[in-house]
Amino acid sequence: MNADGLLWMTLALPAACAAACLALRDPGTVLTFVRLAGAAAAAYLGLVACVVFKTGVLSGAGDWLVLDALSAFHALVLSWVFGASSVYAGSYFGAELREGSLNARDIRRFGALWFGAMASMTATLVCGNLGLMWVSMEATTLLTAFLICIHVRPLSLEAMWKYLIVCSVGVAFAFMGTLLVGSAAQRLSLGSMDMLLWSRLRPAAAGLDPATMKLAFIFILVGYGTKAGLAPMHSWLPDAHSQAPAPVSALFSGFMLSAGMYCILRFIPLTEAALGGAGWSLRLLAGMGTLSILVAAVFIAFQQDAKRLLAFSSVEHIGVIALGFGLGGVGTFAALWHTLNHAAAKTLAFHSAGALGQGRGTNSLKAFAGSLRAASPWGQGLFWGLLVLIGVAPFAVFMSELMVLKAAADAGAYWTLALFLLGTGIIFVGVLRHAVDAAWGEPPAMPSAARPEPHPEVPGVTQRLLVWAPLALLLLLGVWLPDWLGTAIARAAEVVGGAR
Amino acid sequence: MNPATNLIDTVTAILLITNLMLLGSGYLTSCIRYAALQGLAVGLLPLLLHAQGSWGRAAALAAAGMILKGVVFPIVLTRILRDINVRREVEPFVGYGTSVMAGVGMLAFSMWLTRRLSLSAVPESALIMPAGFATVLIGLFLIVSRRKAVTQVLGYIVMENGIYAFGTALAGGVPLLVELGVLLDAFVAVFIMSIAIYHISREFDHIDVDQLDRLQG
Repeated sequence: MNADGLLWMTLALPAACAAACLALRDPGTVLTFVRLAGAAAAAYLGLVACVVFKTGVLSGAGDWLVLDALSAFHALVLSWVFGASSVYAGSYFGAELREGSLNARDIRRFGALWFGAMASMTATLVCGNLGLMWVSMEATTLLTAFLICIHVRPLSLEAMWKYLIVCSVGVAFAFMGTLLVGSAAQRLSLGSMDMLLWSRLRPAAAGLDPATMKLAFIFILVGYGTKAGLAPMHSWLPDAHSQAPAPVSALFSGFMLSAGMYCILRFIPLTEAALGGAGWSLRLLAGMGTLSILVAAVFIAFQQDAKRLLAFSSVEHIGVIALGFGLGGVGTFAALWHTLNHAAAKTLAFHSAGALGQGRGTNSLKAFAGSLRAASPWGQGLFWGLLVLIGVAPFAVFMSELMVLKAAADAGAYWTLALFLLGTGIIFVGVLRHAVDAAWGEPPAMPSAARPEPHPEVPGVTQRLLVWAPLALLLLLGVWLPDWLGTAIARAAEVVGGAR
Repeated sequence: MNPATNLIDTVTAILLITNLMLLGSGYLTSCIRYAALQGLAVGLLPLLLHAQGSWGRAAALAAAGMILKGVVFPIVLTRILRDINVRREVEPFVGYGTSVMAGVGMLAFSMWLTRRLSLSAVPESALIMPAGFATVLIGLFLIVSRRKAVTQVLGYIVMENGIYAFGTALAGGVPLLVELGVLLDAFVAVFIMSIAIYHISREFDHIDVDQLDRLQG
């Protein structure tokens, strides 16, 4: 198949699956479909990404659809998160369906929105036009809003309303920024159709109007930064992550935040080229990253709720990623690698926390005490997931954070380095305490409603695979980064052009 | 002065006046009407500033924008008001008089900012761009300073109007496909927000967003 077909299929496949979910009648069938088709759609996207790693940029529809090294790498992350979460969602909602807390209509709506979210997130990556990239990003907000309140409850509605308003308004600023980039491109005398095409702007970026680009980048950073969950625009994040069902939280944290970051990344080379490569935009990004790490450190210590804890950990990690990009040089490579590592680890942690919480009827960390003793592997998953997330060696998250540290030392940013260590140090201690309590603490007296085995019907193999495969991957990547992946990340880093 | 310029200045004036009326009124039905009027006025802009593009593109854009903002949004919002039985904004965080003064201040700020940046605006009217920018700020102000969820949706629509005016005033113009995509997003956003308000009023018996504060820390 040619590039056009390959790229169109990445959008058409999830869109068709979304329609199919609405057409299927039996809720059990819908869940099986989500599981199988979700895995298939994810695998297809991953394959297309690998084609890009192998043969170079895919572009179709007159460069309006483009998958280059940077977007292909993010597509790989999306593929992992979406695939794993789809398989998990099948069993997670299966349990709720049997219990009767969800009806057939809810399940169909979930399936349609779930695949719709996948389509819009893929569109964010493959749209070569910065305007359409924005349209897709806003679409992710709109499509995922109702995923937060699959269960219509006061708290989930509150979280959904905050998410909807904060992200819509925030992302609207990013559109102002995009328009300003168009205005800055006036002097390049591109045609109207080419004006916001990244592939046209990039080679000519040195000719963009510098003052306008500065203003544009501030709008972009605030706008997409809201979606990425960078402090101080992260106010929606802990609420949405804690109230959404676990598969949705995993998709939010594992990929949607990175998608926001990806959109910012598209504008970095443009801004830097226009401003003569002085690193102005990178410094802004690094500052926000550091702030995010510190804010997360303050809040994470006091968390009582497992999913809120994980949500603040996402603020921390998106901060680490932003800091890596902001430092440039080896930091760009580290940040991209960290994006993958964080996605794998956080998906596992949210899945585990969700399954444990479902069995206990609450997400309170106290209720999770002693979960290592339970028969299901989710206790192990949460424990190891938390350890990986706080950066225990030799897992991959530790390695990529170490690389960010090295980038900070290389750049001579010793203050940043100190703040980074302070923040991650506080988080390490704070989360470790929670993780140990959850693993070996004295289990609370079981309330009568609690079900000891949340997923009796799931084949144990799937369950174990969902826990041990990401851990194995993270361990493997920590000790040995395969050549092809290293090259892919390096190519993606070149697109961002982080060298300072 | 040619007639098109005259019309453009009229549109700009409507944009600014509706902004101030939105800031100064607490009756939600009136606010919906002002926002609709503003949407209609802003929707005209592509036709008046069509110099860069073709007539067909401008007409398509104007039609889509005006139908959406002048007809669909007011209908959806009025419906929601009727369903949830809310009439007016009660005790906004910032009083109406102060809000209007703040609006004037934001306009002055936008004038200063756009002048300093020397953005490449269309030559017909130098006022659209600062007016659009001020509209964005005023929309944001409405969102943060009022209690009712419906007013937040109105604030979002006002912001959207401002961005639309701002974007149209930037010389060159954005491809039609992008503009239509943006309008589609705005439509879906308002639609989804309305459904959300409906659910909120059913679960909470009110739509005061300041009382949506149980999730903290």
